[in-house]
Amino acid sequence: MNPVRVALAVARKDLRSEWRTRELVPALAQFIVLALVIANFGFQIDPHNAPSIAPGILWLALVFAGLVAFGRAFAAEREQATLEAMLMTPASPVALFAGKALASAALLVLCEAVMLPALALFFGTQVSGEVVAAVLLATIGMAALGCLFAAMVARIRARELLLPLLTLPLWIPFIVAGGQAVQSAMGLGGGYDEAIGLLIDLDILFVVLTSLAARFVLDE
Amino acid sequence: MNNYEKAATGAVALMLVAAGAIFLYAPTDALQGPVQRIFYLHVSSAIAAFASFAVVLVGGIVYLWRESAAADRLARAGALVGVVFTTVTLVMGMLWAKPVWGVFWTWDARLTSTLVLWIIYAGYLLVRRLAEPGRQAARFAAVVGIFGFIDVPIVYFSVTWWRTFHPGPVIVTDALPAAMLGTFLLTMACTLVLGATMIAVRYRIEALLDARERVSEPGVVVKARGAEMGTEPVP
Amino acid sequence: MSILVANGLTQWYGSDPALEGVDLVMDSGEHLAVLGENGAGKTTLLRILATAARPTSGQLEILGLDAFRERARLRRRIGFVAHSPGLYPALTATENLEFFCDLYGVSRSRAAETLEMVGLREVAHRRAARLSRGMQQRLAIARAVLHDPRLLVLDEPDASLGSDAGDLLAGIMAGRTVILATHDHALASRLCPRSLVLRHGRSAGTPTRLHVVK
Repeated sequence: MNPVRVALAVARKDLRSEWRTRELVPALAQFIVLALVIANFGFQIDPHNAPSIAPGILWLALVFAGLVAFGRAFAAEREQATLEAMLMTPASPVALFAGKALASAALLVLCEAVMLPALALFFGTQVSGEVVAAVLLATIGMAALGCLFAAMVARIRARELLLPLLTLPLWIPFIVAGGQAVQSAMGLGGGYDEAIGLLIDLDILFVVLTSLAARFVLDE
Repeated sequence: MNNYEKAATGAVALMLVAAGAIFLYAPTDALQGPVQRIFYLHVSSAIAAFASFAVVLVGGIVYLWRESAAADRLARAGALVGVVFTTVTLVMGMLWAKPVWGVFWTWDARLTSTLVLWIIYAGYLLVRRLAEPGRQAARFAAVVGIFGFIDVPIVYFSVTWWRTFHPGPVIVTDALPAAMLGTFLLTMACTLVLGATMIAVRYRIEALLDARERVSEPGVVVKARGAEMGTEPVP
Repeated sequence: MSILVANGLTQWYGSDPALEGVDLVMDSGEHLAVLGENGAGKTTLLRILATAARPTSGQLEILGLDAFRERARLRRRIGFVAHSPGLYPALTATENLEFFCDLYGVSRSRAAETLEMVGLREVAHRRAARLSRGMQQRLAIARAVLHDPRLLVLDEPDASLGSDAGDLLAGIMAGRTVILATHDHALASRLCPRSLVLRHGRSAGTPTRLHVVK
């Protein structure tokens, strides 16, 4: 069982479970739409200020949705005692971790597929391929980090408090770069290429680091 | 007085010497006035905080590599002392900012990174407290400490980069005249000594706490306790 | 050659001793029952012997390998049925097993074989959430033998199984070295010629005593 097959098996299992129960994605999609509605009232958005506020709302909604998605990736395993069953097999913890990160990233991307059109619809901002690229790139790094700390937090008490506390400081560079990229793609300000370059660098760095750290967090 | 008490007294005495230099030796800044004197301790605190977190980083790496309980204890001590210094840095920074800029806070790269630093290591301490004491807490905290240490320069860099598109207030630090520089270096040295002493004392406290809790130390064989306890044998 | 050698296994949870100085030697093919009341430390001991948990101190050698440093290599040879079944509720019995076949690196045909072994062929396509507690237990047992392990560690597998537990377990245990924790003394003496009794002291100062009965 080579690690890639293991990772894909884990991802497939997670996605299949989600498909059968349909718990996470509808709840997250609803949450995101609601967040957009509330933002409209909170920020008094009109066609003039929409392009400057929309990127902020996008990332805010994404961060909260991400925390829920990644938190659940490991919380459910913990409750079902399945995490230990997986760890009792010879499968490498890094492969298990990669599979979970893949699956929760995929679920978050599904939510993004709801959010971006909703953003365009409600706020009249352009959602171009450039915006999508920035969001997808940021999702990769955020998934790696979110899942690592979710795995850690699943074994500790007070996980709803701890997960944001540990994860958000590490997500800040992604939000800064991603926010600038989206803002630039929506026509305000520049630096798109640099922002994308920064996102790619961050992705590479943190995917490598989290892979190295996975065995310390997952294994007993 | 035991050695720790002597060291602590010495460190405090040094800080008093530094205080003397700050208030009596260093000249008053022409632009900012007396408020500027906060700068000596504020920056020294920041440096001591970073040094403490570097200790946490090294302790964490050594722990993950060798499962050395001593390394973990050192990391724990460093984290606590580091958070204390970071708090001091943030508070002094705010006390300085209000008279000088008119606001307590601004989201420039330095303040943002310092705040993030504080949050990360507060998280470190929480993880330590909430995880299963022993190997699990040590391992998780080591991971948090390592990621945290790497994250802070990255946050600093990204905010600096972001500021090129969204300029904000700039902290101007001109070259320091000799007397000020001398005072600063003295204060920094004394603060680092204080920090090292605090870490040493805290390390000792952690060692005593560990002994009381019988924390996991892999590979150590503990003899069965039946004989000493004097309980009757099972039939 | 001894398949398992445990020396001074001790587990502390804070200041509470769950296990103190447990020694054990097992030869290949032996079946050992672990008996004791709730809270005596059976689950703690079994988890350590299955390499699912590490003790506070002590040494453990399985199949000639240091159990703490070589866990990855040992995982192939050890099967563990934990206290809770640990199944994916949304997946069918077969899907649950096939997933673990992938993780163990064995052919997926083992899923059907083990289902047959534990008598779950009829519910192969039923979701785990819809299986009775006893069936879930059987499924967990099936999973523990997918990779045909040499050492099998079973933590109260008979808890929900019902009257044919003995036959089922005897079939699963044949040819393997087995450590079985149970409350059922009759079952234990039927299946296991050897037993280890754990007894928890009344006051905090009395240690857990080891007692091996032939």
